[in-house]
Amino acid sequence: MNGPVGPAVHLDEAPDRRGPTERTSMTHRTTFARPAAGLAATALVGASLWAAGPASAETEVPRPDSFTSAYTVMATPDGIIDTEGNPAEGQPGATGTFDLMVNADTEVICYDITLDGVTGEYESPAKTATHIHLAPAGEGGPPRIAFPNPEGDGTRTASGCLQGPFTTGLEDEETGEDTGEGFTLADLEADPTSYSADTHTADYAAGAVRGQLQQVPVGGIDTGMGGGATDAGEATGAGTTAVAAGGAALVVGVLGAWLLRRRAAGV
Amino acid sequence: MQGPARVLRGLAGVLLTGSLLGCGADSPAAREAPTAAPPSSSTASPSSPPARDAPDGPRPVPTAVSIPSLGLAEDLVDLGLDEGGTLEVPTDPDRVGWFTGGGRPGGPGPTVVVGHVDSTEGPAVFARLPELTVGDEVVVDDADGGRTRYAVTEVADVPQTPFPTEQVFGATVEDTLRLITCTGPYDAEAGRYTENRVVSAVTVD
Repeated sequence: MNGPVGPAVHLDEAPDRRGPTERTSMTHRTTFARPAAGLAATALVGASLWAAGPASAETEVPRPDSFTSAYTVMATPDGIIDTEGNPAEGQPGATGTFDLMVNADTEVICYDITLDGVTGEYESPAKTATHIHLAPAGEGGPPRIAFPNPEGDGTRTASGCLQGPFTTGLEDEETGEDTGEGFTLADLEADPTSYSADTHTADYAAGAVRGQLQQVPVGGIDTGMGGGATDAGEATGAGTTAVAAGGAALVVGVLGAWLLRRRAAGV
Repeated sequence: MQGPARVLRGLAGVLLTGSLLGCGADSPAAREAPTAAPPSSSTASPSSPPARDAPDGPRPVPTAVSIPSLGLAEDLVDLGLDEGGTLEVPTDPDRVGWFTGGGRPGGPGPTVVVGHVDSTEGPAVFARLPELTVGDEVVVDDADGGRTRYAVTEVADVPQTPFPTEQVFGATVEDTLRLITCTGPYDAEAGRYTENRVVSAVTVD
């Protein structure tokens, strides 16, 4: 009945400019379950994330310079609710994290998803199997945003930025409208804990892992007043080399590596 | 100013949070503090989002942090989000705060703890945070009388703009702790520091 929806994605747009992770730009290959077939999966590789369809659907965009809100999700096999509203089991031992950065002014959401221990094929009647649902804790609810399914061996990842309006490829049973119809990121900002993130697989159709959105701060932490951090009253931080007092070297971990790459890039 | 460790008992959660002064002269004057958070010993707080799920239920809130190598031991004040969605900071440069919407010791992280590097007049409670290095111990006490020990695994300076929100506040499966203060060049024109020192630690319990 309904195939994948959405306009062709323009891969010649500026690449994802996000710095903080090692991941390459968003996964451009995903699998869909067409609503009619239910179980069949179609792998699309190459230029189109979604085949030509209705004009209004999300597009991939570069990472914005600023955001109006940010969220994270700790997704676990606990808390899965099936379409009947009953508790269901997720995939034992699996975990997922969803980091979501939102700019509600430009209707952009950036996503960074990591799944561990989620195995097997994805399965969903929506156009992808990885969603944000309007679903408070302990309840089910319709998907509002469909993300590309995370890919990889063992650990699966997906990251990128999407600009709405958003469609899920799933029709509301009563209205016949796409379950993303009318949804905006302002709705999410108004009530984030009523939204959940999850992924659905053939083995765990109700959800392999799920978690509620939890808001985290945007921007840096304003923990200084300029009076100087030393007893001599000198300003702290002679530069950005960040060598700790006493000669301890800066350890290049996830954050440090990001910073060094940014410097090397001249940003 | 930061001499021997001072332990303030019984004040956790009583001091209201809200950004009184930012990193410089043009900081906003004292804003009306947000609705008083319940004492941080409560695990069910209307102003705190639900704790991250742990297999055995919500974890007790953290109440104090100590860093033996710095001789620091401080009770924690609650920090939420201000109207702009940014993290509140302690009004008092002598206080250390924790992000109530983040993780808690004993469960998935990160638990985020912040303090000022300086006041308008000199060093503040986290002035010596940049001395921490890999392997240093940090201990967090909680409302149930529990104690969680962490060891530093990473030290990094990150820009405040653009801030790597996902890397600092993104959910971690592990019981992770992040200690944050200001660092880097101070931008007098902007009235704030340009970087954050982020000290990351994982539980060794």
